[in-house]
Amino acid sequence: MSCWYNMEAPDGDIAVSTRIRLARNINGYPFPARMSDAQRLEVNAKIKEAIIGSDSPAAKRLKYIDMKDVPENERLSMLERHIASREFVLNSDNKAIILSEDESVSIMIGEEDHIRIQIIMPGLQLEKAYEIAESIDDLLCERLDMAFDGTLGFITECPTNLGTGLRASVMLHLPVSESNGDIQKLSRSVNKIGYTVRGMYGEGSNAAGSLYQISNQVTLGISEKNAVDNLKIITGQLIQKERELQKKLDKIKTEDLCMRALGILKYARVLSSAELITLICRVKLGINTGVIKEDINTIKILIEGQPYMLMKTYGDMTEDERDISRAEMVRNALK
Amino acid sequence: MLCEICKKNVATTHIRSVINGVAKESHLCAECAAKQGVDTFTDNGLSGMLSSMFGDVMSLGSPSGGARCKCCGSTFSDIAETGKAGCPECYKTFYEEFLPYIKRVHGSVKHVGKIPGRSAEATAKEKGSNTLSDLKAELAKLVSEEKFEQAAQVRDKIREMEAQG
Ligand SMILES: [Zn+2]
Ligand SMILES: [Zn+2]
Repeated sequence: MSCWYNMEAPDGDIAVSTRIRLARNINGYPFPARMSDAQRLEVNAKIKEAIIGSDSPAAKRLKYIDMKDVPENERLSMLERHIASREFVLNSDNKAIILSEDESVSIMIGEEDHIRIQIIMPGLQLEKAYEIAESIDDLLCERLDMAFDGTLGFITECPTNLGTGLRASVMLHLPVSESNGDIQKLSRSVNKIGYTVRGMYGEGSNAAGSLYQISNQVTLGISEKNAVDNLKIITGQLIQKERELQKKLDKIKTEDLCMRALGILKYARVLSSAELITLICRVKLGINTGVIKEDINTIKILIEGQPYMLMKTYGDMTEDERDISRAEMVRNALK
Repeated sequence: MLCEICKKNVATTHIRSVINGVAKESHLCAECAAKQGVDTFTDNGLSGMLSSMFGDVMSLGSPSGGARCKCCGSTFSDIAETGKAGCPECYKTFYEEFLPYIKRVHGSVKHVGKIPGRSAEATAKEKGSNTLSDLKAELAKLVSEEKFEQAAQVRDKIREMEAQG
């Protein structure tokens, strides 16, 4: 199976992934947190029928999956592939998900809102991702009685999502901007125009692997197009800046840092999850700066080295066993 | 910059919120941000900080008193506690209470984005009747056509606009 992170990534040197999320609800039911089991099943069936039961060409590439039929490791690995949220995979009773074959389209049913349409694509592809999300939303709006208000826009459980219900985000790899101390400055300026910078969950000091997510915070009073266009401009500038900084790096020091990382990944026998993130991101820097010439899909290795991704393939393991299995997976990927 | 909660880790999450018209920036480490309900994945926002913002709204007193949403049974204090509505109908029931809060979060209370196709007709009508005089013309027309339910909605809108000046 070819997953979204195996695809071509435009601006992939700095931009890791692009996500578009639309929050939607249907009239006549409480939000999922207050729904009875019977109501959940009813809503699941309605949404399934609206999407899968339509004769739209898009529907043919989508598959409806009852979360109760998904084994635990597979379920939790959805979080690691960024196709479902933590809340959703940890508590998946009476929930369902609709996925495209490459999982770039995932529609969570029964998360915080009745429907969460998500498009994830590698690199920077905001317009394309939004276009796909919109086509699915059009289908839903045509076939279901969507909760919408002329003033408040699309109605969502949390008032922070009212309006467009759109969250557009781009994950960027910003190692040099980070070590330069530019992230705070940057986040302050994007904050002023309603965008937010978040470090990937990391241990201790810096964001894990210098990965940062930029997303819009405001959803009411701004059109989808403006929200997406602004984010494109902001990320474009950050990418440009990081590229310039990477060009100015001391050649031999960078080469040493990146080659050491590659060396460890190629030969280590035990590799923790945290170590993998740090090292694979250094390898990414090495590839960007031309120090490393090998063709390596760093994001694929990063995702497939996550605990549940390993266990879904190799079966249940203790943490120690996983570290060994992870080292083996990485060695094979770098052969 | 260190995280303002634990004062130990480097702040990597930077969030701006507007409370009582005053912009506040929060700088948190990933761990504390997660505890505050910031999830890099869902972008569900800061539920912790949100309910404290509702607290502000609550202290202003609730115009609906102890009223319950007809559809899901929530009171506004239930909603304020979690920072979340019970059902779509809640926004109609507690519109007045929600409004100042929504304005704080978004700086705006007017949707300008996509409109679902199903209500396109209704929306076209709304768009065409943005001004008070348009609404009044529409009201007269609806009354003459004996469409009293719709007329009542338009009348309410006119009152609302007139009240806002
Ligand atoms: Zn902290
Ligand atoms: Zn309600």
